[in-house]
Amino acid sequence: MAARGETSSAGGNDAAQDPFPSAQKMSKRPKSKQLGFQFTQQELPACKPILTPGWVITAFILVGVVFIPIGLASLLASKRVVEIVDRYDEDCIPQSFKNKTLSYIQDDKTNKTCTRSLVVPKQMKSPIYVYYQLSNFYQNHRRYVKSRSDEQLRSKDGERKTNTCEPEAFAGDKGPIVPCGLIAWSLFNDTYKFSVNDTVLDVNKNNIAWDSDRKHKFGSDVYPKNFQSGGLIGGATLDSSIPLSEQEDLIVWMRTAALPTFRKLYGKIEVDLEVNKTITVTIQNNYNTYDFGGKKHLVLSTASWIGGKNDFLGVAYLAVGGICLFLAIAFILVYVLVPRPLGDPSYLSWNRNPAGR
Amino acid sequence: MRESSRRTKRKIRWSKLYTFSCFRPPNADPDPIKSLIGRPGFSRVVFCNKPHLHRMKPHKYPTNYVSTTKYNVVTFLPRSLFEQFRRVANLYFLLAAVLSLTSLSPFTPPSLIIPLVFVVGISMLKEAVEDWHRFLQDIQMFDEATCQSVRARTSNLNEELGQVSIILSDKTGTLTCNQMEFRKCSIAGVSYGGDLNEVDLAASHRMNSDMVACSPNLKNLKIPDAHREYSIKGFNFRDDRLMDGRWTCNSNVYDITMFFRVMALCHTGIPIEDDQADKLKFEAESPEEVAFLITSQELGFQFCKRTQSVMVLKELDPDLGGIVKREYKLLNLLEFSSSRKRMSVIVSTEDGQIFLLCKGADSIIFERLADNGRSYQEATSLHLSCYAEDGFRTLAFAYRRVERADYEHWNSIFMKAKTTVGPERDELLESASEMIEKDMILLGVAAVEDKLQKGIWLLTGDKKETAINIGFACSLLRQDMRQFHLSSVMDSGCSNQSEVILVAKKALVSQIKSFSQEINEEHNKHMPFALVVDGQALEIGLRSDVKDQFLQLAVECASVICCRVSPKQKALITRLVKEFTGKTTLAIGDGANDVGMIQEADIGVGISGLEGMQAVMASDFSLPQFRFLERLLMVHGHWCYNRISKMILYFIYKNIVFGLTLFFYEFYTSFSGQVLYDDWYMTAFNVLLTSLPVISLGVLEQDVPSDVCHQFPALYKQGQRGICFSWKRIIGWILNGAVASLIIFLSTIHALSTVAFLGKGKVADIAHLGTITYTCVIWTVNCQIALIISHFTWIQHLFIWGSILLWYIFLLAYGALPPSYSHTGFQVLTEAIGGAPSFWIITLLVVVASLLPYFIYMVLQRTFYPLDDHVIQEMKHCKKDIFDKPMWLREQQNSKRTTQVGFSARVDVKIHHLKEAIQQRRESIYNPTQRCPSPVAFWSLLSLLGKLVQTQGTAHELDHPPT
Repeated sequence: MAARGETSSAGGNDAAQDPFPSAQKMSKRPKSKQLGFQFTQQELPACKPILTPGWVITAFILVGVVFIPIGLASLLASKRVVEIVDRYDEDCIPQSFKNKTLSYIQDDKTNKTCTRSLVVPKQMKSPIYVYYQLSNFYQNHRRYVKSRSDEQLRSKDGERKTNTCEPEAFAGDKGPIVPCGLIAWSLFNDTYKFSVNDTVLDVNKNNIAWDSDRKHKFGSDVYPKNFQSGGLIGGATLDSSIPLSEQEDLIVWMRTAALPTFRKLYGKIEVDLEVNKTITVTIQNNYNTYDFGGKKHLVLSTASWIGGKNDFLGVAYLAVGGICLFLAIAFILVYVLVPRPLGDPSYLSWNRNPAGR
Repeated sequence: MRESSRRTKRKIRWSKLYTFSCFRPPNADPDPIKSLIGRPGFSRVVFCNKPHLHRMKPHKYPTNYVSTTKYNVVTFLPRSLFEQFRRVANLYFLLAAVLSLTSLSPFTPPSLIIPLVFVVGISMLKEAVEDWHRFLQDIQMFDEATCQSVRARTSNLNEELGQVSIILSDKTGTLTCNQMEFRKCSIAGVSYGGDLNEVDLAASHRMNSDMVACSPNLKNLKIPDAHREYSIKGFNFRDDRLMDGRWTCNSNVYDITMFFRVMALCHTGIPIEDDQADKLKFEAESPEEVAFLITSQELGFQFCKRTQSVMVLKELDPDLGGIVKREYKLLNLLEFSSSRKRMSVIVSTEDGQIFLLCKGADSIIFERLADNGRSYQEATSLHLSCYAEDGFRTLAFAYRRVERADYEHWNSIFMKAKTTVGPERDELLESASEMIEKDMILLGVAAVEDKLQKGIWLLTGDKKETAINIGFACSLLRQDMRQFHLSSVMDSGCSNQSEVILVAKKALVSQIKSFSQEINEEHNKHMPFALVVDGQALEIGLRSDVKDQFLQLAVECASVICCRVSPKQKALITRLVKEFTGKTTLAIGDGANDVGMIQEADIGVGISGLEGMQAVMASDFSLPQFRFLERLLMVHGHWCYNRISKMILYFIYKNIVFGLTLFFYEFYTSFSGQVLYDDWYMTAFNVLLTSLPVISLGVLEQDVPSDVCHQFPALYKQGQRGICFSWKRIIGWILNGAVASLIIFLSTIHALSTVAFLGKGKVADIAHLGTITYTCVIWTVNCQIALIISHFTWIQHLFIWGSILLWYIFLLAYGALPPSYSHTGFQVLTEAIGGAPSFWIITLLVVVASLLPYFIYMVLQRTFYPLDDHVIQEMKHCKKDIFDKPMWLREQQNSKRTTQVGFSARVDVKIHHLKEAIQQRRESIYNPTQRCPSPVAFWSLLSLLGKLVQTQGTAHELDHPPT
C-alpha cells in the first residue's frame, strides 16, 4: 500500500509526464533561474523558523535576563528622585469662605494670598523643577484643543486668522484677540514664591518651554493684543510689551496635556535643598478650579535619566521579566516531564481520528 | 463570469424600464410569435451582395462583436467607481469622508479622504490590470502540448479554492485528454496488441510489492515506454504479428487488408505535410480518426491525398510485395451522427469494384451483418468485452461489396433524398442509408484508449452504462460501494402527460425513501454509497416538491453520477447543490454545454483544451489540462486559503490594536472625540506603515511547501472544515488585538502620566503621548506578523523590518517640515522623545508585553494540540522526510486513506478487478454449466495470468534496473 499515489500528485517533473516536448515549444516556457522567476514561481530561498522547545526556552530566558536588569535600573532611578507634592486648593480657602468657594475665587477684592510650608524629606540636588498639577482639567477636550490659531501665534501676518478661536476670536470692534482662543484665555495664573529661612529662592522661568516652540511656533514679532479684555476673564493676563516667544508660561500652557490630570513646568530652583529644611511658599491662589471640582497641587521634584518619580516602568519590567523566567522554568519542566518529540506523526489528525472528521 | 450574466439580467430589466415596456400589458396576442415576425428583435432582413444597404438605419444591426473585457477607455472611470462604491464599506467611508469636510468630524479631511482614495485607487488599478491581462503562471501547470498555462480570470475567488467541498464535472473530454491512442484490434477473430496500459502496470506492480519503502512511481513505470524505439502520438500498439509488414505472412491477408482499408478510407480526415518526408500528420473531426489514420500509416496503408472525389492510398501490397499507390473514387459519404452511430463510405476501386466500408458502434454493426458475414462475430464480441473492460473505446469495422447495378439504383434514391429541401430530408436520408448499410461482412474491432486525465473525483456523465463504466474507470465508483440506481420509466403509452409525470414522481419518491432508509439503517458509518441517476429521473427529481428529498439522498452519497443530463439540468443541479449544502462548489468542464454549470458554481473552471473556448470564457479559472486541477486546488487553493485567512485575521487584529487605542483614549477626554494621533500618522498606518508586510503575507506565505501539499491531501481538509477562518479564530484574534491594545495603552499612559519623562524635567503633551503610543503600535503589529509568518524570504524581512524603520524615517521627515505643515509633529523625534531613554525602554516593554499572550498561546498549542501543518513543518524541520523515509511515506499514505483520490484509487480498483476476474474465470472453467464455453474461458484466464506475469516481470525490472 506504500506506493503510487504520489505519482499523479507529484507534479514535479512535467517533462517526464508529457511525452511530446519539442524544442520550439520548450522555448516558450520560462526557464531562467533568475530572481523574477524565483519570485513568480514562489521558490525564493526562505528560512522557515519553527518554535522548537529550545527556541521557546531561549526566548523566555532571554527576555527575563534582559528585562530584570532594566527594571532594576529604572526602579532605582525612580527611587532616587525626591518629590514634594502639596495640594493647596482646599487649604488656601479662608475658613469664612469654605462653603462659597466660587464667590471667593471670582471676587477681585478677596485676599488670595496663602502661605504653605513644606519640609524637604531628602536632600534635593539642583535643578529642582517646580510644577503645578491640575486634576479633572480636560485640556485634551477636542473643542478646547482646537480653540487656538497657530498662524496667529507664529507671525504678525496671521493676526486676523482667528476663525478656529470662536468664541474668543474678536474683542468686539477692537480687532482680533492675540493670542486668541480658549486655551490662551484659560491661562493658569497662580503664582508661587519660595523662601528658606527668609532667604528668597529664585525661580528661574527661562527655558521651561520647548526650544522648538519658542523659536518656530511663537513669533518674536507677535505681541498680546486685546487679551482678557472681554467681560469674562478666564485666567492670567499678559504683558503686551513682551513678544509671545518670550512669554514662556503661555508657551508651556499652550502645549495641551494628554490627560485630565497633568503637571506643567512652572520654573526651576537652581540651588540644592538640604534635608529637613522648611520651604515657605507664598501662593497667589487665583485660578478657579473650584467651579469644576479640580484639584491644584504644587510639586517640587528632582529628575533622573528616566524623568520624574515613576515606579511603573521599573515594576512592569520586573514583572514581565519575572513572568518570562517563570514560564521558562515551567516549559523546561513540561518538556522534561511530558516530552513531545518534534514531528511526532501520532499527532497528525488522521492518526488521532482515523475515521477522518 | 458570473457577474456578466447577472449584469445581463439586470440590463434586461433596465431595458424594460426605459423602453416603458413594463407599462404595457402582457402580450395578449393568441399567437405572439407569428405576429412578431418582421418586427425588430424577431427577424432580420439581409441583403445579399448589397452591403451598403446594411449601413443605413432600418437595417443597421448591432455587430456580432463580443467583448471579453469589462471596461474600455471611456467606461473605465465611471464604471469602476460605481463598482467600488457599490460596496457598503466603501460607501460608508465615502460618507465619512464627505462628513469630514464639515466641522462635525473630529478628523481633518485628509486623514479620511487619503486612505479612501488610496484604497479605491488600488482597487481600480487592480481591476484595470486584471482586465488588461489575467495571468497566473505556475510553471508546473504549463502544458507543453498546447503552450497554455493556467489563467486566473478573476482574482476575487482565490480563497474559495481552498474550501471546495463538492466538485461537479462534465465527463466527455473533461476527464479525458481528448488524445486517443490506438491500442488493440481484433481482426478476423484474432486479437492483436497485448500491451499494457498504465493502470495495468501499476496494478500488477502494486500486487507484488508490499507496503515497503521503495515506491516506484509513475515516472519509473513509464520507463518501458521510453525504451521503445518509437513513440508516435496516437499509436501505442505493439504486436510482432502485425508490425513491420509481417501481417502479409498471415493466412488471412484479405481480411486484414480490408480492415486496414476501412481504417484508412472511412473517415473525414485530411493529411497534412510534415517536416519528416515519409510520415504524414492528419487532421480529422474526431481524435479517434486521427489515431486510426496514424495506425494505418504505421501498418502500411498511408492515406496521402484527398480531393473532392478521390482518395489516394499508398498500400503495402502483399501479392506484389511492395508499396503501391492506389486511387479510390469516393462515391458517397454517409456521415456519422450520434443517432446513427456509424459512418460509411462508398468507394470504387481502380478495377471498378464498389465497396461500402463502414465503421461504427458494435451493436449497430452487428445488427447489419449479412448471414455469411458473421463468421468472426463470436470471437470478436469476446474480444470486444475484454477491451471494454480495460476501458477502451471500441469501434467495429465491416464492409460490403456492392454490385454496380444495385449501387446505381440506390444512388438515385440517395441523391433524391439529398436534394430534398424540408423537414423530411433527414428521414429520407436515413432510410436511404438504411437501404445500403446492410448485409455487411464483419472484419473486426479496433480499440482506442481515450487517455484518462489524472486525478478525477466527481463527474456527471451521459449514458447510464457508459457513465457507470467510466465511474469505475476513474474510481469514482468502487467495488465496495453500495450503488443506488434512481431511474424512472415513463410510460409513453399513457395519453395524459401530467398523469405520466405524477406516476413517475410517485415511483421516484418511493425509490428515494427506500434508499434513504437503507442509508440510515446502515451501521457502518463509513460505508460509501454511490448514486446513479438517469436523465428522466433527474428531471422529476429536480422538481420543487421532490428536490429536497432527492438532494438529501444525494449529499449522503459519496459520489453521484448523473446520466443524460442537459446543459440546463447541469446548471440546475449545480445551483441546487450549492444552495442545499451551503458548501463551496466547483464546476469544471470544457465544452459549451458546461457553460451554465460553470457560471452557476462558486468557482467555475474551464479546460482550455481542444474543444473551443466557450467554457474558458465563462470560467473563473482556466486550465489547459484536467490534471492541473489537483495542483490548482491542493497547492494554490490550500495556499490561498491559508494566506488569505491569515491575512484577514491579521488585518482585523492590526486595526483592532490601532483602533482600540484611540477608543481607550476617549475615556480620558470625556468622550469629546479628541484623536490621540496626528492625522498623518492615522493616514500612514494602513497605507504605508503596515501594508507591505500584509501583502508579503498574502502573496508569499507558505505553511508547507508545494510538494508536501501534494503528498498530504488531508491538509486540504483544513479548508473544507474552515479551521483557519472559524469563528473561534476570528474571536481569538479580536481578543488578542483587544488585549494587545489595552497593554499598549495602559503601559504608555502610566509610564508617561503627570511626571516628567526625560531628564530635563519636561512633561509629555498629547503629541508626545500619541507618538510614543503609535510607535508601540507599529512595533507590535509588525512583530506580530513576524510571529504569524512561517516562511521568511528576504522580501518578508525587508517589508517587516523596513516598515518599522520607515516609521522612524517618516517621523524624522515629518518633524523636519516647517511647523505650519507638521503642526504637533514638529521636531517631535529629534527634540523631545528621541533623546528620552524612557521612550526606548517603553517601546521595548510594550512590544514584549503585548506579544506575550499570543506567544504563550502559540507555544501551548504547538506543544499540546499541534495542527497537521505544524507537525509536518516539524518533520520537515528535523529532516525526518529524509532520515525516516518509511514513516514519511506511511503518513502520506495514511493521509490519503481518508481522501483516496485519483490514480492510487484507480489502481486499487484495477487490482480488485483482476483478482475478481481470475476468480470468476477459474470458477467458470470447473463449472461446465456456465453459459460461457470453457475453452474460451480457459484461454482468457491464461491471457490474464500472462498479463500478470508480464507486468510482474516489468515491475521486477523496475525494482532492479539492469546496470
